[in-house]
Amino acid sequence: MRNGEIRIRDAGVCYRLYREKVSTLKEAVVNRFRHLRSAEMFWAVRHVSLEIEPGEAIALVGHNGSGKSTLLKTIAGVLMPDEGEVLVQGRISPMIELGAGFDPELSGRDNIFLNGALLGFSRRQMEGKFDRIVAFSELGDFIDMPIKNYSSGMYARLGFAIAQDVEPDILIVDEVLAVGDERFQEKCKARIRDFRAAGITFCFVSHNYEAARELCPRAAVLHHGRLAFDGPIVQAWERYRELERGPAPGPQIEAS
Amino acid sequence: MTELTEGAPAAGTFTTARRSPLRELIQYRQLVAMLVIRELKVRYKRSIFGLLWTMLNPLLLMVVYTIVFSTIMRAPQRNFAIFLLSGLLPWLFFSIAVLQGLHSILVNQELIRKVRLPQAVFPLSVVGSNLVNFALSFVPLLLLMAVVRQPFTAALLFLPLAMLILTIFISGVTLLFATFTVFFRDVRHLAEVGLQMLMYLSPVVYDLQMLGQHDTWWFRAFRVFLQMNPLTYMVGLVRDPVYYGRVPPLIGVAVACGAALGALFIGFSVFNRLAPRHIHYL
Repeated sequence: MRNGEIRIRDAGVCYRLYREKVSTLKEAVVNRFRHLRSAEMFWAVRHVSLEIEPGEAIALVGHNGSGKSTLLKTIAGVLMPDEGEVLVQGRISPMIELGAGFDPELSGRDNIFLNGALLGFSRRQMEGKFDRIVAFSELGDFIDMPIKNYSSGMYARLGFAIAQDVEPDILIVDEVLAVGDERFQEKCKARIRDFRAAGITFCFVSHNYEAARELCPRAAVLHHGRLAFDGPIVQAWERYRELERGPAPGPQIEAS
Repeated sequence: MTELTEGAPAAGTFTTARRSPLRELIQYRQLVAMLVIRELKVRYKRSIFGLLWTMLNPLLLMVVYTIVFSTIMRAPQRNFAIFLLSGLLPWLFFSIAVLQGLHSILVNQELIRKVRLPQAVFPLSVVGSNLVNFALSFVPLLLLMAVVRQPFTAALLFLPLAMLILTIFISGVTLLFATFTVFFRDVRHLAEVGLQMLMYLSPVVYDLQMLGQHDTWWFRAFRVFLQMNPLTYMVGLVRDPVYYGRVPPLIGVAVACGAALGALFIGFSVFNRLAPRHIHYL
């Protein structure tokens, strides 16, 4: 596989729903068979196949609960598929949530290094990036303050500043462009365009047609965990609108 | 899942194809160190004595025990405080690491939901920060030994090896408890009670030699249990050099090493087998 390639073949992710999510030892012993056998299965994503070439930009579209986030988490490697396979090659910059893993008690400086380590970077590598990250975040002297004192905008700026500097092969952005003020949003979009120009694979989740069309020529529409459409973004959006208008049945839970 | 990254992966590079958990953990070794530093930093923030508390804590504990056992209770043994502390320090390392470590996956669940990383870094960093505490508590212990004229012998040089064996053992047990707690939250409560009992079922505040002889079946059973209890050998690794001034017997060291490696092997493999399913139970 080439760097930046994503290959999803007949992938399925299944959540097992128990009457009570936290099972206790007693419950497990008493209801052993129920616990093991008749859990209700909920397939958040099923029979999804997608081939994303290196350098391609794709928007993942679907209403709430359609399985977008689950699919994204599988690509990011947080979730393992229960069926089929998801193969991803290369470094992923997971902008699923900016600032995941920040420790509020620590300063911005310490958090940059901690976050770098969470993404698998060594201290020395992060030292090389440090000045650029601080400059991008525009935090200045606030960088030595505990980040619990940051405003939510500052928090998001630091998160984006770190995520944009990890030299990814694959960039995953999940609705994070709604953070910061307008000027910072523009800066983020410009950075994403740079990434696109540099040939980085780009997965984008958005409910905003303008933003998605601007950045992605292709879109995949998810509906109740199935792939409903995969193709040019204009047609994809029509299909999405159509599905949205239709009656939305509740999630299907099948007992097994 | 057949594709694998060729050669040594650069930092942050991965495929979602399964890689050896050990290799992944080695790649993230710096994260473990950073989590340990974070823990120590956050714990002692805004306290005047800072890291000194790590040493003050056992020192104050020692003062209390010394007073209680040498003046009030008239303990049978010479320098009973040293005897006691040489057992309590490794025990506290064990029990505190296990109790803190079993929460570590739950505490870091926000991160586990969002970032792909080897989850073993969380319990292991708890063991790491407790290792720092354990190592630092030898400073006041040695001070106290000087004060009560406990002889210093060359056997003390064995202590670094003792720490290594203890750390390996405790890592294995902590990994095991951390993953079980995700599936059964009861483990936390069971562990609290179980550790209380285990402390008295291990030679921490007493010693095999102090037990004497009773010719009853339950006493014989208790002795057999003590001989099978790995903690007996773990405590011996510290108590022998510190209190008895001798290197632990070879057989004891061998048993301790075996228990440590066995615990780590079981803990690590069970943890990694169950880790992909954690996210469904968080």
